[in-house]
Amino acid sequence: MGEGTILEHIIAAYSEAVFDTDRDKAFEVIHEAIAQGVTPEDIVFKVVIPSMEQMIKAISEDFDANLAQHFMASQIASQVTDEMVAQFQTSPETIGRVVIGTSHGDMHTLGKRIVSGCLRSLMIDVVDLGVNVSAERFVDTALEHNACIIAISSMMVHTARSEYSCLAVRELLKQRQLEDRIKIIVGGAPYTWDTELYKVVQADAWASDGISAGKVIKDLIMEMHK
Amino acid sequence: MITGMDRLVAAIKGEKADRIPVFCNLLDQGVKELGLASLHDYYQRGEYVAEGQLKMREKYGYDNVWSLFYVGKEAELLGCRKILFSPDGPPNVEHFVIQSYDDIHNLEIPDDIIHHPVFAEELKCLQILKREVGGRYPICGYVTAGMALPALLMGMDKWFELLFMGPPEVRDELLAKCSLFCQRHIAALRELGVDVIVYANPFGSTDFVPLPYIIKTGIPWMKQDLSAGLQGIVYYCGGARFNQVIEDIITQIGIETYYLSPLDDIAAGKQIINGRGLTCGVINDIKLIDWSEEQIRQEVKRMLAAGMAGNKFLFGTILMPYKIPERNIRAMLDAVYEFGQF
Repeated sequence: MGEGTILEHIIAAYSEAVFDTDRDKAFEVIHEAIAQGVTPEDIVFKVVIPSMEQMIKAISEDFDANLAQHFMASQIASQVTDEMVAQFQTSPETIGRVVIGTSHGDMHTLGKRIVSGCLRSLMIDVVDLGVNVSAERFVDTALEHNACIIAISSMMVHTARSEYSCLAVRELLKQRQLEDRIKIIVGGAPYTWDTELYKVVQADAWASDGISAGKVIKDLIMEMHK
Repeated sequence: MITGMDRLVAAIKGEKADRIPVFCNLLDQGVKELGLASLHDYYQRGEYVAEGQLKMREKYGYDNVWSLFYVGKEAELLGCRKILFSPDGPPNVEHFVIQSYDDIHNLEIPDDIIHHPVFAEELKCLQILKREVGGRYPICGYVTAGMALPALLMGMDKWFELLFMGPPEVRDELLAKCSLFCQRHIAALRELGVDVIVYANPFGSTDFVPLPYIIKTGIPWMKQDLSAGLQGIVYYCGGARFNQVIEDIITQIGIETYYLSPLDDIAAGKQIINGRGLTCGVINDIKLIDWSEEQIRQEVKRMLAAGMAGNKFLFGTILMPYKIPERNIRAMLDAVYEFGQF
């Protein structure tokens, strides 16, 4: 088998394990590939990232993945990436950096964790501020870490719409003239229930689920780098 | 005069009262009715919550009242020491009781919920509701399923991690304890005269987990949660979709009332239930914040056209966001009262 065919088999076996939420099987596939001589760099760039992009594409085409699959896909991918990056010959270049947290008053962490795992597997740096994050902290941290995206996760409609949440981040970006440098993406249940809500809270973009957020953020970063 | 209970009983039997029953779930809004300073103050006393429930039911004319304060109350019964109150939305659990696997081993399930000090205000609330509207308007209680309860105790992401990647013996110990709490909570509410028990289980939705997982793992735990009987039990997945699951729940567990997701197709759900139980069509109440009164009227009309044929149908909301303007609450209810007539 040629290199391309071998990698296609690995991607297929790895993607199937991820789809089945079978973490042990996914790692088994990766470790077998390494034993066969596939480099850690190829595992990340030619297996994990394409597999994640396939999942993103499937979801965008109405493939009905559930939350458990989103969670496991992001966790498996980020864990594999962490393990592989530690074995890279040279430190990898990241695409960009994202500051993420839940909105002011919101203690729900699942969505943020799925997004963070997905981003790490796409070689995007994540600064995780945790829960109940103030607007000032979002913006100050984005500046401190030179991040170009602030990602705000909300599980409840009142925390999404709160004047202390995304709206306050927007106001700070305006006041400090940072709107060209830093974009805001939002996500979480209320945005799924009301797909126009991201406009109400003055975000630049939104994503309907944690995995799709990976693509939306990557696209935003690419656009800003143009 | 026809009461909410008359309407509900008629719907269960497949008979017609004057109109379909309407379950409008206003909780936090009670603070405005009483003119109190904050939701924190409102939820400190059972008589406040009872009065809020009674006033709102009287004012709007819908068919149910709630003994639920906020969902995090269950976590408080299990040791949660801090709830984060908001000025305009439901309180959040801030202190997670389970920080390590040792905490799971040490977690104690109260034997007697009714006389637990943390339950004292809910008990007071329930006693008032029972005295004032018992038998005339269904009193609703809310119980989190054993499989979903760990999310309130350790956070949803940590629970996902344990559920799907953690040590099976630790996961099963926690599930067994949470199921026991669920059983005792249901028993306590029944003993106090709650008529309708909303059994909330996002893990019973295909938005959360795959159908084979629900069948293999979820349903056995649900059977354990509900082992004392199905009287008054309503299947609800926290607003997540479950049309694909209904057939298995009916045949394997036998629950007779289904509180659909706003994202479920009402006609399809009713067709699956096929007269074997009651279907609740549920409005996307987040949209009620911004919709015009005419948009609300049209949406209610659409929903009732999809659900009313063949009876055994009621109209419901999820937990209505605090920011919904009063005129929109009225627009929704007026439309149900108009189009929901027999």
